[in-house]
Amino acid sequence: MSNTAFGILRSGYVARNTFVHRLDGRTKFLFFLWISIFNYIFYDLYVTVVSFVVVMLLAFVARIQRFVVTVLVIIVLPIVLLGIGIIGGPFGFAHNRTAIAAVQLFGYTIGFYLEGTVYVSVWTSRLAVTITAALLAYVTTHPSDLAAIMLKSRLPYKFAYAFLATIQLIPILTNEITTIYQAQVSRGLNVQAKLIDRFKSIVVLMIPLTLGAINQTQIRAIALESRGFSAPVKKVMLRDPRLKASDYAIMIIMAVMTCVFIYIIWTRGLVPFMTGIQYVRPGG
Amino acid sequence: MTTGTKSAGPTTVEKPAGFAILQIVLIPVIAALNYVTGVIINILKLPLFMDTWATSFGAMVAGVWVGAAGGFLYNIIMAFTLWGLPAWVWGFINIYIAIITWALWRIGWVSISKPAKLVAAGIIVGVTNVVPVTLISWGVFGLMPTYAGTAWIYAAVLASTNDTLSASVVSSIASEIPDKLISLILAAVVASRMPARFTLRPPKA
Repeated sequence: MSNTAFGILRSGYVARNTFVHRLDGRTKFLFFLWISIFNYIFYDLYVTVVSFVVVMLLAFVARIQRFVVTVLVIIVLPIVLLGIGIIGGPFGFAHNRTAIAAVQLFGYTIGFYLEGTVYVSVWTSRLAVTITAALLAYVTTHPSDLAAIMLKSRLPYKFAYAFLATIQLIPILTNEITTIYQAQVSRGLNVQAKLIDRFKSIVVLMIPLTLGAINQTQIRAIALESRGFSAPVKKVMLRDPRLKASDYAIMIIMAVMTCVFIYIIWTRGLVPFMTGIQYVRPGG
Repeated sequence: MTTGTKSAGPTTVEKPAGFAILQIVLIPVIAALNYVTGVIINILKLPLFMDTWATSFGAMVAGVWVGAAGGFLYNIIMAFTLWGLPAWVWGFINIYIAIITWALWRIGWVSISKPAKLVAAGIIVGVTNVVPVTLISWGVFGLMPTYAGTAWIYAAVLASTNDTLSASVVSSIASEIPDKLISLILAAVVASRMPARFTLRPPKA
């Protein structure tokens, strides 16, 4: 993963005042689950492409399209290229029948095949949809709302703490490792060295980082105890997120679309719109 | 709940009273350490993932459930942010890593004073990890090649067998064994450097 991707996770919440931001976090996470599940049920490129257009439109509305495109380029594009190059290409994917483009070289047919290319496109577009929906929910929901939602959803507050503390710790430890890295480089650490030496470099970076983090753990535990973290009382939150009319509207749309999807599956199967392409299970 | 001075003046808290809270606080640290390892791997341009070493470390220094919970949480956060929903199932890999590391650690195989056993333990973790990795790759990625480092192995096996399952298993073996071996060695080295005052296990009765 590149620095850009880490930067995105480090930045966390993107403060804007858009329709998507104003939606309740529960609605956004429900949408994320809903669209991800249906995309993994259908084996149809048209369904996933339409879903992708919908989530990208929402990303534009939320004005986080740059984030989303960067993440997709970093995570999904390499899988698309590898997949189409190998599975869609002349490497023996068992379902390849229809050549899209082929040349004859020394008696061998080298080309790209429709079945393999569609297979890769369906799986990677599923990934693209679910990643975009996840980013939509994550970067447009304030961390405090996230905590309140978890508690309202009756998750144990210790889990809610662990989840939010991780999100807070990631930028702290990332900054710390940058400082440690610079300090070690100034002491002669060579990051351009041979592979074995670079593996050894991990140790000199990880030991100070880990010991520092463990030390902070002790301090954080004391701070939590002194604020009554373990006290056997009902915990309350500063924020109290409530569902609004727009949230109910989105949920109604999802419910209606669920009925439509069930009807489509019932009447037309898992490949409802692509013609001439058979359903291919993972592994053939 | 705290140790404090008897004299007049502010109470000085030196240690948290319960190990339970210490272990809860350690869970996010493990998740974040797994994550930050990715930053280091990126800086050093290494051809591995190594995002399970902190899970092994947590299982060794604070118990199996701390390692498993920290590792699982790391995957949950990545699934809800950068990897997309289906990637949460990678969390089971981290639970498996925590359990097997803890078991190997209990029998004394995960120790830098026994390098041969440590290497054997790393290979065992890597080889046995191929099964859950292949299952997840089947369900989430359709057994497609997802890692450029072993894509050529995948292509070679696919070309000779016409079977994506075989290609996925062989390329997983090629990436998992070195990855888990080096991760376990790193966890053992870092755990061996932990000062005794950073005790994260409850005292034996």
